Amino acid sequence: MAMHKTCDGAKRRDFLKVGALGFAGLSLSQYLNIAQAGGVKSTAKAKSAIFINLPGGPSHMDTFDMKPDAPAEYRGEFNPIDTNVPGIQICEHLPELAKVMDKFVILKGVSHTLAAHQLGSEYVNTGNRPLPSLEFPGYGAVISKERPTVPELPPFVSIPNTSQRPGYLGVQYAPLHTGSTPRAGQSYSVRGLDLRNGLTVSDIERRKNLRGDLDTAFSGFEQQNDLLKGLDRFSQQAYDMVTSPQARNAFDVSKESPEFSQMFGESPFGQSCLLATRLIDSGVRFVSVSTGGWDTHRDGWNNLKTRLLPPLDQGLAALFKGLEMKGLLEETAVLVTGEFGRTPKINNERVGRDHYPRAMFMLMAGGGISGGRVIGASDDKALGPLNEAITPDDVAASYYHALGINHEQEYHTSTGRPVMIVRDGHVINELFT
Amino acid sequence: MKSYLVILITGLSLPLTQLAELRGEVIPPINERFSQETEETPDFQRHLLPMFSKIGCNGRSCHGSFQGRGGFQLSLFGYDFKMDHDGLSERIDTDDPLESYALHKATNVEEHEGGERIKTGSWEYQVFLNWIEAGAKPVEKPFKLERLEVTPNEIVFQSAQDSQSLNVVAVWENGTREDVTPLCRFQSNDTSIAEVSENGEVTAQTAGDSHIVVFYDNGITAVPVIQPVSDRTGKNYPQVATPTRVDELVVEKLRKLGIVPSETSRDEDFLRRVTLDITGTLPTPQQVQDFLADKSTEKRSRKIDELLETPAYAAWWATRFNDITGNNINQLNNVSYNNNKVSEEWYEWVRHRFEQNMPYDKIVEGIVMAESQKSDETYEEYCKRMTEIFNDKSCESFADQDSLPYFWARRNFQKPEDRSIGFAYTFLGIRIQCAQCHKHPFDQWTQEDFVQFQPIFSRTRYSPNGTDRDEYQAMLDKIDVDGNLRGNDLRRELARKLGKGEVVPFPALVDQAPRVNRNNKNSKNSNNIGQTARVLGGEPFDLNDYQNPREPLMKWLRGDAQELFAKSFVNRVWANYFHRGIVEPTDDLSLANPPANEALLNHLAQGFIDHKFDIKWLHREICNSNTYQLSWQPNETNIQDDRNFSRAVPRRIHAEVAMDVIAQATSGSEENAVYLSDLKDRAIAIPGTAQGRGGNNYALTIFGKSSRENNCDCDRSSEPTLLQTLYLNNDSELLSEIDSRKGWLAELAKEWQAPFDAKTEQVDAKPKNYDEVVERFETYLEKLKKQKDFEKIKTVKAKMKSYKARYGQAEENTEVVDAKVDSNIDYTSAINTAYLRTLSRYPTQVELQRSLSAVESADNPVDGMRDIMWALLNTKEFIINH
Repeated sequence: MAMHKTCDGAKRRDFLKVGALGFAGLSLSQYLNIAQAGGVKSTAKAKSAIFINLPGGPSHMDTFDMKPDAPAEYRGEFNPIDTNVPGIQICEHLPELAKVMDKFVILKGVSHTLAAHQLGSEYVNTGNRPLPSLEFPGYGAVISKERPTVPELPPFVSIPNTSQRPGYLGVQYAPLHTGSTPRAGQSYSVRGLDLRNGLTVSDIERRKNLRGDLDTAFSGFEQQNDLLKGLDRFSQQAYDMVTSPQARNAFDVSKESPEFSQMFGESPFGQSCLLATRLIDSGVRFVSVSTGGWDTHRDGWNNLKTRLLPPLDQGLAALFKGLEMKGLLEETAVLVTGEFGRTPKINNERVGRDHYPRAMFMLMAGGGISGGRVIGASDDKALGPLNEAITPDDVAASYYHALGINHEQEYHTSTGRPVMIVRDGHVINELFT
Repeated sequence: MKSYLVILITGLSLPLTQLAELRGEVIPPINERFSQETEETPDFQRHLLPMFSKIGCNGRSCHGSFQGRGGFQLSLFGYDFKMDHDGLSERIDTDDPLESYALHKATNVEEHEGGERIKTGSWEYQVFLNWIEAGAKPVEKPFKLERLEVTPNEIVFQSAQDSQSLNVVAVWENGTREDVTPLCRFQSNDTSIAEVSENGEVTAQTAGDSHIVVFYDNGITAVPVIQPVSDRTGKNYPQVATPTRVDELVVEKLRKLGIVPSETSRDEDFLRRVTLDITGTLPTPQQVQDFLADKSTEKRSRKIDELLETPAYAAWWATRFNDITGNNINQLNNVSYNNNKVSEEWYEWVRHRFEQNMPYDKIVEGIVMAESQKSDETYEEYCKRMTEIFNDKSCESFADQDSLPYFWARRNFQKPEDRSIGFAYTFLGIRIQCAQCHKHPFDQWTQEDFVQFQPIFSRTRYSPNGTDRDEYQAMLDKIDVDGNLRGNDLRRELARKLGKGEVVPFPALVDQAPRVNRNNKNSKNSNNIGQTARVLGGEPFDLNDYQNPREPLMKWLRGDAQELFAKSFVNRVWANYFHRGIVEPTDDLSLANPPANEALLNHLAQGFIDHKFDIKWLHREICNSNTYQLSWQPNETNIQDDRNFSRAVPRRIHAEVAMDVIAQATSGSEENAVYLSDLKDRAIAIPGTAQGRGGNNYALTIFGKSSRENNCDCDRSSEPTLLQTLYLNNDSELLSEIDSRKGWLAELAKEWQAPFDAKTEQVDAKPKNYDEVVERFETYLEKLKKQKDFEKIKTVKAKMKSYKARYGQAEENTEVVDAKVDSNIDYTSAINTAYLRTLSRYPTQVELQRSLSAVESADNPVDGMRDIMWALLNTKEFIINH
């Protein structure tokens, strides 16, 4: 991407002297430079981040923003319970999270206006209200760009996939999708990293040497050409990853101690949280975990209490505890969100709730955010923010802030348009006090 | 003469200016005229605003910011005369000009965050002051700038630090000529080649070539700057073959630069390159052998002709054209009753036309002037036709239609502004989005241009209810559709009815008729009905004069915009054959981004027009040039050259092509031979994008198949990434292709009577219930055997086998294989074939020896060959087109 090209022409010339790869060469060499430079220093506490996405849009009123005194047509059938923080109550089907309330913050009265899944999802995954003319990069892409990691590891891993795309930042910031979730007690690896088809490390080494013997057509010209140089570099990196115990170990959740793993439970979501913890511990910068099914138009409460909330409760509570046990919670910013909340007024016909972006909840933890608090509020029927709304943009600004990334920093799209990382957000200072 | 009169009447001009104009001479530069006190009144458009631009007032970080600065906002990059004048008028004092706030700010008398921009007493000061003193007149009617005359119009430096001053004369439509050098902004497109001062003095840096761009008013002119890289210029330039006009034009520039082109490529390199470029396919081993054996001198041009006739050519180029027209399933909701089908029909429509070599302008006409319901059919007849088309799985009957209305139906192509941007992108290769909010900084387009372009698109919509709502409803009633169904439920129901062969109402492209009530056409109000429109750079017209509002667009593409229309396509095609376009980025044909070789682009564009937009002519013109056929191996004069086409610069092959050639290289011999003609399962013939409703194609995504989302040629990426390398190294998809039972390696094993099992050392730890699972498989098999369900037995056996293999217990080899492989087999021929299949050449002696020893040292020669195939697929040479 033409990061150097600006709309006011200041640095456009950089763009026009691109190397042998033309358009692509610039970003490759730039990428190489960034990668070589290693991590970026900052005073922020978080070095890495975890993003838990709950696609479908979880009901705020039946989870973290309960209104037990609301009229029956709003209230919902669940009851609140106390947490380990006096004065904060959450849903009775989240008992494990109730025990670790001191580790995370509930944001209430988060509000926007996009009631369609895709648009809402783009909004909360990028911190920018979607535009038809521009695809914004997801958090993971921005963070991989701003916070490169060791070469053996992919900077951005999604379990099992994510709707976060690199957008205008370009494909080199795309995530590594695991495509599956680990199963309890079994060894685990991901696409392209594990040794399948019966290959061993010694096979890989033998092949690498053979390739070295045969890949000689461009000998002597590699240094003159970014493409050749880049391919060689990636080959080395891929070899490092495939053969390095560090990279393969990073994914293999079966290497965790049984006591530790058990906390997370056997659900795919719990196992994903376990993997996320492990990846962060290994040096991956950004992990997204996605667990769907929250679009509870029908039979909502039954679905929530049997199918949806128990694994979320166990997995997420274990994630907070696990990060803390490993000493990672302080340096890992965690954000949990769906794309919207659900209609406070119950849809009696279908026994569920429908899409509702005006009021929703999000959770944040780690990375200098002290837990055990509620920030923001919704009104008495959870119809909208009580006072000033928290916007997805504000949350994005804060999330980046925790990582020491200035959300007002400007990138340039391929068409030279300057765009701030978050165009319209303000850091929620209260989070960091 | 007219201007003279104006000046006399207004009496505001100074003798110096007046005299020069009277004599038809160039008005001397403003810094001379205003260096001391003068009576001249400067003009807001011609003098004030360019001066403000030059000193940076309306930049993005200053008053050009959309939030303004210090409460004062100017239009970004100028050209909104009214807004700028309004803003400024509030800050000046015509009664007491010297006390004007803006003047104090600019001179930092009043504290100014931007510091001192104008020195008191300077000519700039005088200009500002005189303008205020004369009443701070706004722009009544904008002057029209005809052109900027820059002298010299090309700079050739001999060595670093040489310098040369530019002089710029603005020529206005009324004939006025003024030296505006001090009012111009100058910019070097590559400061490592040349620097330029704010006075227009250009200083040579390192050798090479670039442009200095001059900005004034809405005029932008680029001046080439060259400094030879060697002493082999002019007379010292060696004899270089220039068999075609393309070569002459390329070498003409190289001669100035002292760059000598590389040698002509070897036959095998040429064959691989041209086959990949034209058809997205590799030559087969047989084709390589035949081509090398062919001694005729015309074999290259014959090969080009031959490739242009293959189905793979049409498939691949249709895919590229689908990129720029935006065939993306995610944007095709509600267009018909099956998004995938719409995408397929779109693709086939284009593919048919490339196959027939329909002239490019005709193809575009079918899109721009597309119609759903034809003028001689009723809505019901249209729906009947669409129903038949919908049920034609081959999409051929759609491809036979004259037009492609789907282009207009895309979700991201509905608002007039999105259409303006998308249309300009697709058919003209320009980026007008900047002008949506402000004067385009690198092109002549102003916000007014953009605003007046938009209405042309406002009368056209893709209606879900067909061309007539009542008829639509009547048809729904007729086929007995539940009146309560809406949205997706309704669509599903209609799709179901379609499946049963019923005729259902279809959405349609509808053009609103012109406004009929136009009694007072000549009154003032006629402009207020919102139908005054203007194509970019054209004259205003009344859109109501056109029954079909899109007619002026097509007229424009064939008229005033024809050159740009041709250039944008020619340039994109060129970029397919080289590592860059003649203009790069290929979709940024702006004035400030001039072509690397203007004469070359003009020649190809003009030729394309002269040959009636014959696409294959264009391919031949490029491919038959020596320039295209040059070797990638550089010489000492061209090793740094990456913009003048003096050598073939290596490039990574496109995503679809990469997937196809991996499959092709590893495929069985029969399949391998028909890749050029059989499009089944070919990635180059996928209608939509990698991420469509059909799912997410991992490999195509990571290799950068166009996402067709953003009106940008950069939606496609040829950048290498780590994920791509991981894929090639170690993805099970790739490894399985090598190991496919239908593949070439399996053939070899059979021929050699050697064991062919993927190696099966223990990979994953055996799960605790391993034995249990195996037992379950076996019990199930027993049961199936009793039921004699042989089909099922086969699949279950395969499943059990792969389960066992995964955990390290290989099935005993079931195929009859003599464990000892005949030691007399000559592996050379297999190694040759492996090379021909992947790199389209024979191995060198050294490579052959290394490969032989790899095969011979392996436990089993098939394992050795597997390693060799892996290694070859993972060479840079494989994934690079060179």
